[in-house]
Amino acid sequence: MSSHTGLGIQDWRKPVEQRLQRTREFVTETEPAALAIVVLSMGSLLTAFAGFLLASSWTAIPFATFLVSTGYGWVRHQALIARAVTFAMTTVTIVTLGLIVVFIFVESIPAFQYESATVFGVSVPGLGMFIQTRWDAVTDPVRYSLLPMIHGTVMVTAIATLVAAPLGVAAALFIAEIAPPTVRELVKPGIEILAGIPSIVYGFIGFTIINPWASDEFALNGGSTYLFVGLVVGLMALPTVVSVAEDALTSVPDSMKDGSLALGATDWQSMISITLPAAFSGISAAVLLGVGRAIGETMAATVMLAGTQAIPDPLTNVFYGYETLTSLIAANYGNTSGVHESALFAAGVVLFVTVLCLSIASQYIEARMRRRLGGAE
Amino acid sequence: MSRATETALVREGRSSYEGAAATAIGLSGVVFAVGLGTLVDILDITAPIAGIRLSTVLGVALLSLGVGVIGFGLASRLDYVDTKPQPSAGIAAAVAFAVVWFAIGALVAGAAGLGSISWMAVGLVTGTIAFAATAFSREDIGSTLPTGSVAVLGGLALATGVIGPGWEWVLVSYNATLFGDTAVPVVVMFASLLTGWAAAKAYGGFGARGRNVGAYVLIYLIVLSILSVLVGLVAFVVVKGLPGLFHGFSIGGEQVISWPFLTNGASLLADVAGVFPALVGTIWLVIGAVLFAVPTGVGAAVFLSEYAEQGRFTQVVEVATNGLWSTPSIVFGLFGAAFLIPRFGNNKSLIAGMLTLGFMLLPLVLITSREAILAVPDEYRDASAALGVSKWKTIRSVVLPAAIPGITTGVILGVGRIAGETAPILLTTGGGVLPGKSAAPSVLGGFQVSASPPFVTNPSLLEATSALPYQLYALITAGLSGNIEAPEQFAWGLALTLLLVVLVFYAIGIATRYYFRKKLHQ
Repeated sequence: MSSHTGLGIQDWRKPVEQRLQRTREFVTETEPAALAIVVLSMGSLLTAFAGFLLASSWTAIPFATFLVSTGYGWVRHQALIARAVTFAMTTVTIVTLGLIVVFIFVESIPAFQYESATVFGVSVPGLGMFIQTRWDAVTDPVRYSLLPMIHGTVMVTAIATLVAAPLGVAAALFIAEIAPPTVRELVKPGIEILAGIPSIVYGFIGFTIINPWASDEFALNGGSTYLFVGLVVGLMALPTVVSVAEDALTSVPDSMKDGSLALGATDWQSMISITLPAAFSGISAAVLLGVGRAIGETMAATVMLAGTQAIPDPLTNVFYGYETLTSLIAANYGNTSGVHESALFAAGVVLFVTVLCLSIASQYIEARMRRRLGGAE
Repeated sequence: MSRATETALVREGRSSYEGAAATAIGLSGVVFAVGLGTLVDILDITAPIAGIRLSTVLGVALLSLGVGVIGFGLASRLDYVDTKPQPSAGIAAAVAFAVVWFAIGALVAGAAGLGSISWMAVGLVTGTIAFAATAFSREDIGSTLPTGSVAVLGGLALATGVIGPGWEWVLVSYNATLFGDTAVPVVVMFASLLTGWAAAKAYGGFGARGRNVGAYVLIYLIVLSILSVLVGLVAFVVVKGLPGLFHGFSIGGEQVISWPFLTNGASLLADVAGVFPALVGTIWLVIGAVLFAVPTGVGAAVFLSEYAEQGRFTQVVEVATNGLWSTPSIVFGLFGAAFLIPRFGNNKSLIAGMLTLGFMLLPLVLITSREAILAVPDEYRDASAALGVSKWKTIRSVVLPAAIPGITTGVILGVGRIAGETAPILLTTGGGVLPGKSAAPSVLGGFQVSASPPFVTNPSLLEATSALPYQLYALITAGLSGNIEAPEQFAWGLALTLLLVVLVFYAIGIATRYYFRKKLHQ
């Protein structure tokens, strides 16, 4: 980040000029017919996208133009059109993320406005969701506090992390360092399959088996508990932790471990004092991603929780199971309208922003680890 | 390993010690397994073993394990056996035992009915003692005394019946009650875990090798329990689901195979209610998602790894892709509901679900395809370029064919994941709880061409459609009841069908990977 100096503007201009120069060269070098077909294809794709955004029923025309021109270009100028089309495909991920941000935020605006609160004479939209604890969409006063659901999500995620993090790291150590090759070939797909079991199947087992069992075993008032939802969600987040942590462990160069073993250290000593510290950032990234999965886990929580928007007393009561952010959305969407529906989108915004931050943090940590192990530092 | 340096003389002196430690490890394992059995109600803690209650037997076993483990420590400390303990068991063990003993002290004081300040104080005292005992004594004492005492305490409580059948502790403010049925297995499992670890350390003669053995025992135990949970889960669903899945199944007769559960809808007229519409719905959802996500993801991967220069743009794409990968499925559902539904006729529709799942599949395909393309050695590209082949032709006929195995595997595993997703289609696709056979979408026959925009329409793409995971959710929220006989059996059959669909994708994906990897190494 050197652009914060006085020369900032010039620094910024140079690459743009270079790019313009290259574009000019590219245009003069390319056949006019090929250029025209690429421009037509990309232009019609953009128009089709704009038409779709505006929900126009005429979208079919530019889309057909795109298909025809791309098809023609594929036959005549394949190399160029392939490059253009793959570029367009690359932008889809960014566009999708952008659309998610825009649409979820836009839908949540009414709820944020409704829950404005005044601090030091300034009205802050959305603050009312976090400074009081009442969620009631029916009886007056109608309030949409997200705190009960945030509390539920924190409880479930904390329990899930307590399960998934230690077990996941231990399993990753086993796969990466301890297991003989044949055992590894058996355990690895096993853990992958664990990731494949659909969350609604977990939820179904939780609903029909675990909830009644817990209700019986602890003499509870109804079987919904944060404790067992957390355990189930932890099991579901486990494969994420295992696979990312295992990648981190295997990326530690063998020469580092060999050095330790050659000095007479036991396998466990090498793991504890060489491999784990070297892979520490990768492992914390794995745990962060696992936390993200646990926060976003929906169906098991929806099916197993009671679906009341309240904060248990005492706060740490794991034998109550009320509602998480995800289950709030899944259970109520479709039966709501107006500000109530918008409040569900607000819950989605909180979820999305939290998990995106976790994802970016873990990517940053991983990138740093790769740089360090690459020998740059 | 340091084992190689041991002389035969030393080994002989230690062999009985090692034998005793190995027996203790084995006994801990057995006790742990029995504890697990009682927790999940396979065994009953009141069941008589040679005329004595199981909980008492477990208590005696724990007691002897605890005494044995302390004995291992003492024997080593008093130099009866040749071990290599370090000066201290280490700060990590000390902190762990402090926490354990704080919890034990606090729980015992709490169960005795003391107030919150006194139980905290008791916990702090026991925790501090455990910390000091672990941190400031030699390793052989530090790692056996605190663990053995846990087992002795727990064993005494169980053997004397202080904790046992009929014991209960009402947690008033938590609105819950702890019963002996739950407390006994938890005490047993926890204490046997600790004694197993300590015995493993003694087996290794403490020191570096002892820690190695102790850690390995714990890790093997963890992996074993993860795998047994996996196997148990799948087996449980299979056992519960088979009666529903094969209800009315027959081979021979008019049709060669008659499988009503998969070929019927749910209606009063059908003899056996089936999941046909949901199955077809899931198949179409997957096809739609694949048609959208696979070309897009592979194309983007090609551009990123072959054309784009590493810079700001690729970085942003990477962050966006990983961000999309970790975005919760329910957020995708909200997005589909807010973005796609208004653009496809303003109600839940098959195509909205297809595209929503496609958006979810996209980052998976992109990430795996990119890895597969990057794994193609540069020599391939260089050789092709040296022959005068253009860049695009190289990509098409050299790079992509070499990357196909990786891409296929990634796509199949990704499809397995989205086929089981419920949250996105709950908000975008919907459908009935128990749809009849006629509700199955017929996408291929549904296309209509008209003269007015949007020119091509397909009503079955625009209708709310059921899918396997959605139908399971709808059945659960309907309280496992409906206009069919044995709704619970139906639901388990449905769960098994869904699990099989997903696991088949995973099995094919993993098998493809092995097949290609083997071919590569030939």
